[in-house]
Amino acid sequence: MTLRFVAALAAAVLATSGPALAQDAATPEARTEAFAKLPYWPGFWVSEQYLQTTISGSAAPRPPGSPPLERLNGFDAPYNDEGKARQAEAARTRAGRRADGWGYPMMMDAATPFQVMITPEETMIVNAYGETRHIYTDGRPLPPAEDMWPTVWGTSIGHWEGDTLVIETVQVQMPYTYFHGGPVFSEEAKYTERMHLDGDRLVSEFTVEDPVTLTGPWSKTINHVREEGYDRMIQMDFSNDRTGQENGVNTIEPPADEQQAQ
Amino acid sequence: MKFQVACAGAVALALASGPADAHHSFAMFDMSKEVTVSGTVKQFQWTNPHAYIQLMSKDAQGRDVEWSMEMGAPMYLYARGWRPRTLRAGMQITVKLNPLRNGRPGGVVRDVTDAAGKPIGTNR
Repeated sequence: MTLRFVAALAAAVLATSGPALAQDAATPEARTEAFAKLPYWPGFWVSEQYLQTTISGSAAPRPPGSPPLERLNGFDAPYNDEGKARQAEAARTRAGRRADGWGYPMMMDAATPFQVMITPEETMIVNAYGETRHIYTDGRPLPPAEDMWPTVWGTSIGHWEGDTLVIETVQVQMPYTYFHGGPVFSEEAKYTERMHLDGDRLVSEFTVEDPVTLTGPWSKTINHVREEGYDRMIQMDFSNDRTGQENGVNTIEPPADEQQAQ
Repeated sequence: MKFQVACAGAVALALASGPADAHHSFAMFDMSKEVTVSGTVKQFQWTNPHAYIQLMSKDAQGRDVEWSMEMGAPMYLYARGWRPRTLRAGMQITVKLNPLRNGRPGGVVRDVTDAAGKPIGTNR
């Protein structure tokens, strides 16, 4: 498949799906020009909270006196009665629970590195667990309500305001279900992110609005920094969570071969 | 079995000041203790969300004990020079770890050395 063919194919797709960009990139040359105007955010990004995570699975302690970093776990969100009830239930059931991965929004506040792939039509954010966000920037609106349903990573559209990518994400399953350290927001929550490069940091400003669990908007800023030591993205599935619980204390479950023998 | 329990005050103090745990709380491990275990690698599980070293060792009565030694996710190990074949079944190694609080033979790995005391991989 030649580059010319790919470009022509992309232009053909745009002509039917993205009126704003279809006009801007109706030709391969126009698309190349549109591409060149976009930011480039190479690197393997991790939340500053997790920079230099060791083989033990914990990040190095930050210097004494460092200001606390903001988190997306929702522990300090302004919950209403429903939110407080969900938080209480999460606190009761969190210990010993296994996870399926990070999910959204926690994959944006994680030690697992992600890459940001920017094209005129779409920005993709992909992490080492294979978790992928598709953020359509071709001018389309969100799909009709009947065409969406809650998923772990939600449905996203975005647009550029200068060098800032503004993302709107809806229809996210309650994040706590997928990852036990996630927030308890409802499927009605709307997540807005403003993402831009500030020197060596990729800054993401989050605002969550959720009429079901929150009394008002909740905003947090996550700084992503480049982790060293990677020559490529290596994706592996999430297949061996051996976290267990015994007498109220977490433990490591025996390996699968021993469990089968018991 | 070479089994030493030592208070690692500096480690405990450092971790109490707020490490970021990647997948679950470190409350399941006694970070105030450091245990050294020598034995034979049974299996190196290069898996998400954690890698595990399954190590066969001997207890004080000479009985075989299988340890489950937890590490971070493979991507963190990769960034520090570890690979799936860094540890192979049959290798003689010594592992320093913070043990499980419930007394089971397991913990979270701090450092690994070979039979000659040479570091395997790095934790920096």
